[in-house]
Amino acid sequence: MALVRSELQKLFTTRLWWIMLIVMLLFTGLNLGFLIGFAGVEGTQGAPGLPGRETLAFQQSAWTAGAGSSIFVMVLGIIMMTSEYRYQTITTTFLATPRRSRVVTAKLVAGLLVGLLFGVAALLLTAAAVIPSVLIAGGEVALLDGGIPRIMLGVVATSALYTLFGIGLGALVRNQIAAVVGAIVWVFVVESLLAAVPALQTVGKFTPSGAARSLIAVQIDSGFGQADLLPSWAGASVLVAYALIFALIASLTTVRRDIT
Amino acid sequence: MTAIEIRNLSKTFGPVRAVDDVSFSVESGTVTGYLGPNGAGKTTTLHCLLGLVTADGGTALVNGRPYSALERPLAEVGAVLEATSFHPGRTARDHLRVICTAAGLPASRADEALEQVGLAGSAGKRVAGFSLGMRQRLALGTATLGHPRVLILDEPANGLDPAGIEWLRGFLRTLAHEQGVAVLVSSHVLSEVQQTVDNVVIIARGRLVHQGSLEELTGNGDRPVRVHAADAARLVPALEARGARVERPADGVLRVHGVGAEAVGQAVLDEGVLVTELVRERSDLQEIFMELTREK
Ligand SMILES: Nc1ncnc2c1ncn2[C@@H]1O[C@H](COP(=O)(O)OP(=O)(O)OP(=O)(O)O)[C@@H](O)[C@H]1O
Ligand SMILES: [Mg+2]
Repeated sequence: MALVRSELQKLFTTRLWWIMLIVMLLFTGLNLGFLIGFAGVEGTQGAPGLPGRETLAFQQSAWTAGAGSSIFVMVLGIIMMTSEYRYQTITTTFLATPRRSRVVTAKLVAGLLVGLLFGVAALLLTAAAVIPSVLIAGGEVALLDGGIPRIMLGVVATSALYTLFGIGLGALVRNQIAAVVGAIVWVFVVESLLAAVPALQTVGKFTPSGAARSLIAVQIDSGFGQADLLPSWAGASVLVAYALIFALIASLTTVRRDIT
Repeated sequence: MTAIEIRNLSKTFGPVRAVDDVSFSVESGTVTGYLGPNGAGKTTTLHCLLGLVTADGGTALVNGRPYSALERPLAEVGAVLEATSFHPGRTARDHLRVICTAAGLPASRADEALEQVGLAGSAGKRVAGFSLGMRQRLALGTATLGHPRVLILDEPANGLDPAGIEWLRGFLRTLAHEQGVAVLVSSHVLSEVQQTVDNVVIIARGRLVHQGSLEELTGNGDRPVRVHAADAARLVPALEARGARVERPADGVLRVHGVGAEAVGQAVLDEGVLVTELVRERSDLQEIFMELTREK
């Protein structure tokens, strides 16, 4: 579809995408470095330590590293939408395609593709770090069992869907800075609290990140016991529902509004 | 052929009646000036016409259809809007290519359009480094990408230097008079478009106040003939005998009302007076414009 190509062209003719890609990879790399560096280290006073590099549990948690960078694809999605308003290129876009729902659909599809790409990039980096460290530790590399394919799928899906969240939020808020700040507050404050405090976890498991975690099945032990998560099929449905809601928001807020 | 037709168009923003029951049309092969002071409703009208703003009432059609119903809009209509802007980090060529892709035009059109507006040398530069005039040219290049037969421009002369304005005039006239394109160009300065337009539509506070040819506006009725002659006094009786009313604003200067330049020339010849200047005065368009658009 020509419009999707046009949207991808918009993204790839400015610098933003590779800056975000590098930042996302750095963040994932930091995550991985931490997991690998502290693997097998005993916790203080007999608290459970991180699993050793030769174990399957280590691989399971290491493969989720890419999911932590969802905020970056979300910001990418936000900017894909809001920069059109910020630089007023939206008028040119709508003059070329007056049926605005087509523009929104094209943006969402392009966002989905870019999100997938970022997810795959994060997985490649993970593979490059995890496989050698497992081999060096004398462990057995698991790629197709131990739930690892599901985790990989979860990482890629999370990345793709968070791009859609960003596009929807950008269409709703339109002000770039407000939308980015909103996304950061949401991910780092609201979702973190909902995920960490047990009393709030009944709500927290229904947030996008809660649902995403159920997909990649990272059992975060925040010191209060096992996290309360949805089964992964339910998590996947919740994520898709969010994506649909955000896509709907993006269409409804864009299709009728006057551009002045 | 009627390229643009606006009928009873209205648009209200909160308490402001930005466009109030406006109707006019633009024919192919002509340049129509859409004039009005700041805040008159020009931009709003054009935005309604281009489907960017939903009108409260009335219709605005391009080639007989609402803009949003055009199958390949950029091949039918080109627009340069006040708000036309570019991503500063994108090059001029990439900017046009993105639009070519969306509009199904060949990517080669990007470079052709840049050539046409005199930006070929800056094709690979980021727009952030462009001057106002260069942006205006790029906007014009964007508008002509699809070889449209209808061109809509909102204050296109803003930011252009005198040479740029001269170039724009030629560009628009050539498109309209040689290629049959319908051009609608807005401005808040009548004198700016005076030399370009065939027809004028004047709007003030959202309402249409005049529509017609430029001649109709200036009126052929009373355009005095100014005569400079050292011996001007000798001409007065001869002119008055021909039914003229003569003013003498200064020594050696006559302003002759009520007769044409030919009659004045005849009087000069009959009286054998040495004349250093004989000219039909231009009516002051700006004054007419001010008069028409003045608050009641
Ligand atoms: N989005 C908006 N919200 C509220 N009022 C608006 C909006 N857009 C325009 N207006 C009002 O509508 C009226 C007409 O504005 P418009 O921009 O169409 O005028 P204009 O003729 O283009 O003026 P200018 O020569 O300054 O460009 C003005 O009073 C303006 O304040
Ligand atoms: Mg305006």
